[in-house]
Amino acid sequence: MAMPAHTERSPTDGGAGGPAQAGTARETDDAARAAALAQLARPYGLLFWVAVAAVIATLVRIAFFTPIEASQGPAQKIFYIHVPAAVTALYLAFALMAVASVLYLWLRDPKLDRVASTSAEVGLAFTTVVLVTGPLWAKPVWGTWWSGDARLTSTLFLWLIILGYLILRQAVDDRAQRARYSAVLAILAGLLIPFIHLSVYLFRTLHPRPIVLKPSAPSLPPEMLTTLLMSFASFALLFVALLLARYRLATIADEGLADGGAAARGA
Amino acid sequence: MPPENSGYAYAAYAAEITVYTVYVISVWWRGRTLAARIRAATGADRSRSERDVTAA
Repeated sequence: MAMPAHTERSPTDGGAGGPAQAGTARETDDAARAAALAQLARPYGLLFWVAVAAVIATLVRIAFFTPIEASQGPAQKIFYIHVPAAVTALYLAFALMAVASVLYLWLRDPKLDRVASTSAEVGLAFTTVVLVTGPLWAKPVWGTWWSGDARLTSTLFLWLIILGYLILRQAVDDRAQRARYSAVLAILAGLLIPFIHLSVYLFRTLHPRPIVLKPSAPSLPPEMLTTLLMSFASFALLFVALLLARYRLATIADEGLADGGAAARGA
Repeated sequence: MPPENSGYAYAAYAAEITVYTVYVISVWWRGRTLAARIRAATGADRSRSERDVTAA
């Protein structure tokens, strides 16, 4: 049931154009494959290594150059990796996924489907960091690893929906159908973003309320705010670098250079 | 005096680094697998075209 990726590009069939045209098509295809191989040999460009350096610098600043909060102790520093990962996942990755999905349903451009799916995948990695680091902060501060309140439960629910989204993409062979189904699911997942943000206001929760993303001024001392902003910037940069690397891979897979479109489902 | 709970912070850093590293390696690995398939397809195309020339 797999759809051929590019039926117009069949350089080996000879076709009605004769051997000369077939030869030209083969050369074009070889050039495309050579370009793809060059990209795959170095999936991470300069931006990725800049992002890695920024994340390492941020971790060093968090560990050694940011004051320890008096009441929570060193565990409070988890905040500097938990919050930026959450903000990146919700307001960059999943927001981009939802917007690209809406645009896909309107314009039917496969590039938008690729943006949505790659953004969802990278966002899932960031949300995993959120769901792992949150309990590591909660245990020493709340005395429990997990609380079934609205913020935590809805974030876990979103993580499961995105996981389902990626599984759905592997389960549907027809490219257009897969893009359409997953766009609908991505839009539904995107509707959870404002709910998750407002959950700490709408319900009685253990989870703290925002201290930066709120209408009034951030309630953090300047050294802590600087570390948090540095962390926001470095995680956003890492997100963009990973998104670009993953998008390039998805584009090459979708071009059907490996095995007539079957590769599109593998990467 | 703040409480001593730095172990949780270090565990969180380690978990974060692990998750991102695993993801980065998974993208690199999928790229490598795709590259191998492209190389195999190129080889298959070449041998097929050589057969065509021989047959002609």
